[in-house]
Amino acid sequence: MPNKNQHSDLDESINVTEAHGRIVREAAACAREKRIVQNGIEPVSLWALGACAIVFVIAGGILGGGGNLFAYGTNFREGYVRTPAPGAADSGPVPKEALVAYMAKGAKIYSAKCNGCHGSDAKGNGATFPSLVGSKWVLGETERFAMIVLNGLQGPVSNGTTYGVMPPQGIGMSPEDLAGVMTYVRNNFGNSKGDVVTMEMAKAAIDVSGVRKKVGTSVTGPELESDHLKNLSGTPLDPKTLVDPITLEASKLP
Amino acid sequence: MSSANSTTSEQDAILRSGIDRSLRHPVMFFLTSGAAWLAVSIVLGIVASWKVHSPELLSGCAWLTYGRVFPAHINALIYGWGFQAAFAIIIWMMARLSRKECKAVGTILAAGHIWNLGVALGIVGIFAGFSTGIPWMEFPIFAWPVLLVSYISIIIWSFIQFRVRPEGHVYISQWYFLAAMIWFPWIYITANTLLLCIPGHPLMGVAINTWYKSAILFLFFTPVALGAAYYLAPKVTGSSVYSYSLAKLGFWSLAIIAPWAGMQKLVGVPIPYFLPYVGAAATVLLFVPAITASINILKTATSSRDVLKGSPSLQFMTAGIVGLVIMACAAVFLNLPNSTLPLSQFSMSGYGFQILALYGFFSLVMFGSIYFIVPRVTRREWLSRRLIKMHFFFSIYGIMTVALIAIFGGIQQGAAQEAFEQPWQNAATSAFPYAVATTIAWCFILFSNVFFFLQLTLMWLRLGRRSSHPTLLTSSHDSSSSPHGDDGDIDNAGPAFQATH
Repeated sequence: MPNKNQHSDLDESINVTEAHGRIVREAAACAREKRIVQNGIEPVSLWALGACAIVFVIAGGILGGGGNLFAYGTNFREGYVRTPAPGAADSGPVPKEALVAYMAKGAKIYSAKCNGCHGSDAKGNGATFPSLVGSKWVLGETERFAMIVLNGLQGPVSNGTTYGVMPPQGIGMSPEDLAGVMTYVRNNFGNSKGDVVTMEMAKAAIDVSGVRKKVGTSVTGPELESDHLKNLSGTPLDPKTLVDPITLEASKLP
Repeated sequence: MSSANSTTSEQDAILRSGIDRSLRHPVMFFLTSGAAWLAVSIVLGIVASWKVHSPELLSGCAWLTYGRVFPAHINALIYGWGFQAAFAIIIWMMARLSRKECKAVGTILAAGHIWNLGVALGIVGIFAGFSTGIPWMEFPIFAWPVLLVSYISIIIWSFIQFRVRPEGHVYISQWYFLAAMIWFPWIYITANTLLLCIPGHPLMGVAINTWYKSAILFLFFTPVALGAAYYLAPKVTGSSVYSYSLAKLGFWSLAIIAPWAGMQKLVGVPIPYFLPYVGAAATVLLFVPAITASINILKTATSSRDVLKGSPSLQFMTAGIVGLVIMACAAVFLNLPNSTLPLSQFSMSGYGFQILALYGFFSLVMFGSIYFIVPRVTRREWLSRRLIKMHFFFSIYGIMTVALIAIFGGIQQGAAQEAFEQPWQNAATSAFPYAVATTIAWCFILFSNVFFFLQLTLMWLRLGRRSSHPTLLTSSHDSSSSPHGDDGDIDNAGPAFQATH
């Protein structure tokens, strides 16, 4: 097949049918295409309109069911956030680990009763108000510590120093309060005993305090050495046990 | 056919062939690179969905954790595949409909490369841990202006072609394409400005993001796919669009309703609470534009059963429109605030719905368009009808599985999540079989696309069949026994040959 460009005079010599065929060959896919005819005039069918009408009713129901859509005073629709499960409402606050819960309680007692003299850092002033940080009376035997808190302290102590008179703090102090403040002081301000003085122990301390030889007076150094150099009785509590943060009772939730 | 008519139609064919010729490089570039991103996205989708039911898979590798693989998967699907397929279809169909050759091939190609570079760097950024954490906008911030600039450089030429077109009627497809071309920069710039440039209250940020996701689906991918379907259905069958009134109703209802949709996923979130309820109502109302367009296109496409049976373009397109119908019904079913919305709000149905829209509707229509366009721009015919059939059926199985999971699995999972007195493990357990099914569905989709990738690559290498006969899914009654038509029949081509494609 000769190349058409080799012919000097296209008008004369080109085979029209061949050229036509060649062009159409190259545009074969385009040549067999159909033209787009638009504008069908079929009417919109009734069932399509019916389906759309149903959807409009549903959409209207959604907007209507939304209640007052422009109530900017509230953040979300009343009743959308679900109420607690039946029985869950009276299970009380979220339980916390014992050490955390006791210390949170103790922090309040400390700031109410101890802060004035021993200071917010528990370092006292070194003269009349002794430091509680690293003190062996704080970190040592719990009964001795409890007696001082409940009854106050006067007179010289075993190393010969005489601090100022500590007033008794036990009046109106519940076992939870005592347990909380003792746990707090033993695990805060740089102290890290890591154990919990339980409510049971605190109750025992209050009982012991009530049957002392000289009930109603502040304890003295010699009395502590002779009568109270021991730990309070009671079952130790794993500091990770979950307890109710308000009552400090062991949590009933799983 | 009179000779005058024949000459006009030949000249017309030559004009159209010239338009195809001028666009072959950009169209093939967008289609092949889009297909490559589709492959990447499907593989990442398999990995991500595998991790949902077997979290220990590949867990030793930081860049392969779910939090990176999943956003990489969805972003590759949207910006790698979806947008590039849309670019190819928009520039080709707008050129054809405006009857203008493309004069800016170089610019479009350069912008296309920059788009790909932006997507690639964005995906790498996600893998490297620099994701923004905003769904569907996870690319690191540097990628977003790059994508916007290249989008404009690609799309602007179709506007210019439309402006300088020969006067005449504006066809339905052109409405949809023009709308999509304008709507995308609007939603894109809005979302990027309000989320990345001048971020406001984080809660409103979440709301804007849910709107952006819905708007990308319904204001870009939906009109592009509908425009392509409105082009293909009458073009391939040769019959007129069923009803012009339905077309107008479908277009304008989409334009009015779709911008309101999206925020229904935030029912219960402390934002002004007309927003989620209006969003739910609008999403439900999207049934109207979807169903009107679907009726119109399906009535047109099924006007000739023989053509529908034979044409791969028409079959894919029809399947995609059926996907749109299912999606429209799912939009109604999943968004009822007092019953199903709380169940679908935080369950897998959201993802399933997006995949139904992106793959079951948009991508299938894109495949239909690709089977129509590629033979024209490469001047080669598809190699094998068997490969096309494999692509078709496994795509359908895969996407049907995803749709079933979206609707039933999501509701099951949501109901298990709602039973909040039960341990969360119950919800995970009830979702487990559906998560496994999603993985299987993605494997089907990957399997189906292997055939598509293979054949598209061969077409791109110009190794397609040299013939004037289209590759049809059924052998025509009068052809010889060869499934590919007669060998060497190239010289038999002519305007008188009335096979359809």
